[in-house]
Amino acid sequence: MLEIHDLHCYYGRSHVVQGVSLAVGAGEAVGLVGRNGVGKTTTLRSIMGLVRGTRGKILFKNEDLSSVPTHARARRGLGFIPDEHAVFPGMTVEENIRAATLLLAGAGQRRSLDTVYELLPLLAERRHQPAGTLSGGEQKMLALARGLASRPELLLIDEPSEGLMPLNAELIANAIDRARSNGLSLLVVDSSFELLRTVCGRLYVMDQGTITGEHRLTELASSTDLVQTYLRANA
Amino acid sequence: METVVVAGLNGLVVGASLALVAAGLALLFGVFGILNLAQGGYFMLGGYVVWLAIDHGQNFWLGVAAAAAAVGIGGGVVLLAMIWPVRDRPTALVLLATLALSLVLEQLASDFFGGDTKAIGAPLVARLPIGHTEYPVYDLVIVGLTAAILAGGFMLLKYAKYGVWIRAVAQNRELASILGIPIIRVYVLAFMVSSSLAALAGSLLVPLTGAYPTVGVDVTVNAFIVVIAGGLGNLRGAAAVAFLLGVVEAVGSIWVRAQAVQLGVFVLVILLLIVRSQGRYVLVRA
Repeated sequence: MLEIHDLHCYYGRSHVVQGVSLAVGAGEAVGLVGRNGVGKTTTLRSIMGLVRGTRGKILFKNEDLSSVPTHARARRGLGFIPDEHAVFPGMTVEENIRAATLLLAGAGQRRSLDTVYELLPLLAERRHQPAGTLSGGEQKMLALARGLASRPELLLIDEPSEGLMPLNAELIANAIDRARSNGLSLLVVDSSFELLRTVCGRLYVMDQGTITGEHRLTELASSTDLVQTYLRANA
Repeated sequence: METVVVAGLNGLVVGASLALVAAGLALLFGVFGILNLAQGGYFMLGGYVVWLAIDHGQNFWLGVAAAAAAVGIGGGVVLLAMIWPVRDRPTALVLLATLALSLVLEQLASDFFGGDTKAIGAPLVARLPIGHTEYPVYDLVIVGLTAAILAGGFMLLKYAKYGVWIRAVAQNRELASILGIPIIRVYVLAFMVSSSLAALAGSLLVPLTGAYPTVGVDVTVNAFIVVIAGGLGNLRGAAAVAFLLGVVEAVGSIWVRAQAVQLGVFVLVILLLIVRSQGRYVLVRA
């Protein structure tokens, strides 16, 4: 589904991502973990075409994305939920979701909306509320709902559980897991051990701009050092 | 009483033209973050297109439609082509680019059509008796049409695909592109609609104002006041303030000199800017 070969990203003179290579298979959920500032978010943003200074190869469904603009990547089946500024604050909850579903054919729009409301019922209750008035956790839910509503084939999610109360984090983890069990491929950046254990089968570890390790979930469960270094034990 | 009603109606007509021009300005500011000083130029072109249509034996309303389409498409593309290369440069440069376009349009109009005023008769001659005054029905049609155009525009922004996308791009360009929204297409559309609204206003008002090269200057100044007072990028606020400003100026002029009313409005706008710059109050919501 997604293959990245020797990806380098620059912000001005700063060489943030230094030769990342990774792969996500069809229907697979993969985690990307590491300390703050090692280039995880930049990696996701460059996959989506949001970082100008990049070098290397990004293949999605065997197509080289290097000359494909961001909106066209989305239309090819790539979805991205950023960590910050992930909702349109002046639009209602439903308008936020509709902004994404409008790319789908007529009947698919309503179906998609109903599906995400069923997955995250709180949003159905708040459908007419401006997104900017939602709490941080609710905004995360809305961003996830909108990401799922556009029916991507591969969804990149940046820190879905960051700053959430345990109950909201669990809700989000379950919603992501249900989407994965319906065949959605995922690349998730997060530091919650619970969320990653619920959703992902495999993890990449990133340090100083490069991939330094790859682990199966079973290895991670037993690898206390790794968990203590890179992850929060509780969501 | 009759004087107040007639002045109020006159104010609504002025407000209608302002509302259309200001809605275009607000749309462009919301989507692209620029203030277009050439909006008055497009208002002026709208009037000339109607004059040309009538001069060539065509119907007034066909002229209005042609003005909206031709100035909308042509003006939108020209403006975008001018702005695009300097979009990431300081705002003052973008503002100067639109000022340059405005001056070029005025000069071209002067060269092609001359500096005289082209008078155009209203397409409707019927009059409505209000007390002892006979009020032109066409003026009321302008108000009704403007209200319908603005209401239609708001509905499109609320429910139509490109309307929702325009609002999405205005709020967060990067997030919109992440969702697959074609940003460039949205920009082109916003520039065209903005130009078209100014041309519509100019073409509808031309029986009242006549067509001459600088006819858009006063409208531009007032439209900027409206956009600032209504909240930059806020279409509903701009439309509401436009009608309010038109009525206040017209009715106020019964008792106070027009220049004094205008001065009062300027003072009010300065106060609004001070209040807004402190970020404590939102006077008009989107």
